[in-house]
Amino acid sequence: MSSQTQNPEGGPVISDEDFLKFKEFFYRRTGIIFENSKRYFVDKRLVARIVATDTGTFRSYFTFLRFQASGDELQQLTNVMTVNETYFLREEYQFRCLVDSILPEITRRKVNAEAIRIWCIPSSTGEEPYSIAMYLMEHWPGIKQWDVEIISSDIDTNVLRRARAGRFSERSINKVPANWLKKYFERVGDEYQICDDLRQAVEFTRVNLSEAADTIKYRNFDVIFCRNLLIYFDDVSRKTATDAFYESLKAGGYICLGHSESMSRTSSLFKVRKFPEAIIYQKSLESQ
Amino acid sequence: MKRILVVDDAATVRMYHRGILESSGYTVEEAWNGIEALEKALESPFDLYVVDVNMPKLDGYGFLRELRQQEIPQQPAIMVSTESAARDELLAFKAGANGFLIKPLRPIQLSTYARLLLGEAIQ
Amino acid sequence: MGLVKGKPTTPTGKPKRANCEELKASLDDPDAAIRRHSAQELLRCPGAVRLLATRLNREKDVAAREAILASMAQIDDFEVVSELVECLRSDDAALCNEAIETLKHLTTDVSPALKSLLSDPDPDLRIFAVNILESRCDPNVERMLIGVIEQDINVNVCATAIDLLCELGTEAALDPILRIKNRFPSEAYLQFAADLALKRIRGI
Repeated sequence: MSSQTQNPEGGPVISDEDFLKFKEFFYRRTGIIFENSKRYFVDKRLVARIVATDTGTFRSYFTFLRFQASGDELQQLTNVMTVNETYFLREEYQFRCLVDSILPEITRRKVNAEAIRIWCIPSSTGEEPYSIAMYLMEHWPGIKQWDVEIISSDIDTNVLRRARAGRFSERSINKVPANWLKKYFERVGDEYQICDDLRQAVEFTRVNLSEAADTIKYRNFDVIFCRNLLIYFDDVSRKTATDAFYESLKAGGYICLGHSESMSRTSSLFKVRKFPEAIIYQKSLESQ
Repeated sequence: MKRILVVDDAATVRMYHRGILESSGYTVEEAWNGIEALEKALESPFDLYVVDVNMPKLDGYGFLRELRQQEIPQQPAIMVSTESAARDELLAFKAGANGFLIKPLRPIQLSTYARLLLGEAIQ
Repeated sequence: MGLVKGKPTTPTGKPKRANCEELKASLDDPDAAIRRHSAQELLRCPGAVRLLATRLNREKDVAAREAILASMAQIDDFEVVSELVECLRSDDAALCNEAIETLKHLTTDVSPALKSLLSDPDPDLRIFAVNILESRCDPNVERMLIGVIEQDINVNVCATAIDLLCELGTEAALDPILRIKNRFPSEAYLQFAADLALKRIRGI
């Protein structure tokens, strides 16, 4: 007997075959695989989307999802299927990679004393760029020799405002080591205010990655952190964004994508590099 | 247990090849195209690669060329193609393939070639 | 030393806007970055599609090729469709695959081109046509796929169509799939794919 997610309210059910069909489709489009152990997680969210789209059954929903030219529902679905909250030191292994592997390569190649430039997009409410800043201060000896510029961008001016303000919740700072918390934050009520030094260190800007007029200003970056953004784009926008990144990187520049993201659904423009800590993508050293 | 990476953008092909290879006692993982295959191989190199030619973003030839340049154990690869032109076979070997098979594969073909390239006895 | 407030770098001075003759010439520049830039700018010039397509067939640099295809994708007209379809006949597998990807995302109606490709004597071209069908968001797709499995004589072409029917097939595809199983009784892969499609479509 095939198993199904029992819906106590008698709503749509997801059969084994439905799950497999969805799994294959989602893997093809996003690169994310849902093993059978994630059955409950997936089914629950599929049912929620079936209800939200008023399509009634998995079959109708899947047809709607698959044939929708705009790709909006796939975007929505990807949103609910992935965990996309932001917090300090999220996917920390990439910061370790920056410090232990990427920056050493960059400094070995450097022929001048110009600043090392890092672009962090999306900034969201600032946890990521501030994490990078702290990580460099605490873990990278090279910070004493080299200037580092961190520029962080987002399409949403509201989050940019919050990022510049630098006020964070308990949840957000959960992974920050106690001594960093003491050093870089000040407790204000039940929130945490990041210190002025760090607030001053990061430049926040508004950017729409699909707008050439916006991205043309971004040039000569050594490293781009673009984590958990491209996965929510449709194929065309993803391509536009990746092309923009290519132009904005120096020859030999690096891009870090999110943990469950890959260039495999996007572009072969970048070389795949395996470092001990992470897989990172690199623009050819011979380019430009 | 030997690990094989099956690389093809068609889900049914991957499943079919997986079934044959698992029946022969191998552990199988899958990749949708050359880029994903490269990422998986870099994370944890495989004992054998079964690679389709035509795939989006990075095809079989591109994948093999990249793989052969990486500093990871250089394990055998079977290229799988719909074309039977001799030109493609030569291209495949030049890119770094050790075997070249024409689709659709019969189970005995794939399992025999896998055994051969993994240095195991043919049953 | 340390963290320094930076700015996105505004390109120094306004770059001279090259005219079309200059762009056409620099499309063959030895420097791939210049070729890439030319390809990006060329789309505003008359005859761009032909120029881009001609360069595309010779271009070995991945980034320059992507820029050419991106420009063609932006132009997105029947001439682009026609040129990309010609690329499908290339010996260069990478170029074929890139052409497929680009054709998949055009808004211009590619159905006439696909219909023609589906009856091309070369089975690989018929497979490419099915690959392109995967991205089309119209209800005719299933009908075209059923047409393939009813009529095509090549097992790989049929199997490619069946693979897609696993995902978007409806009850209308069930009988044709049963019939193709009878047409290729000794093809293990086709039987496998057909059985899978039947399972997926029936949902049980």
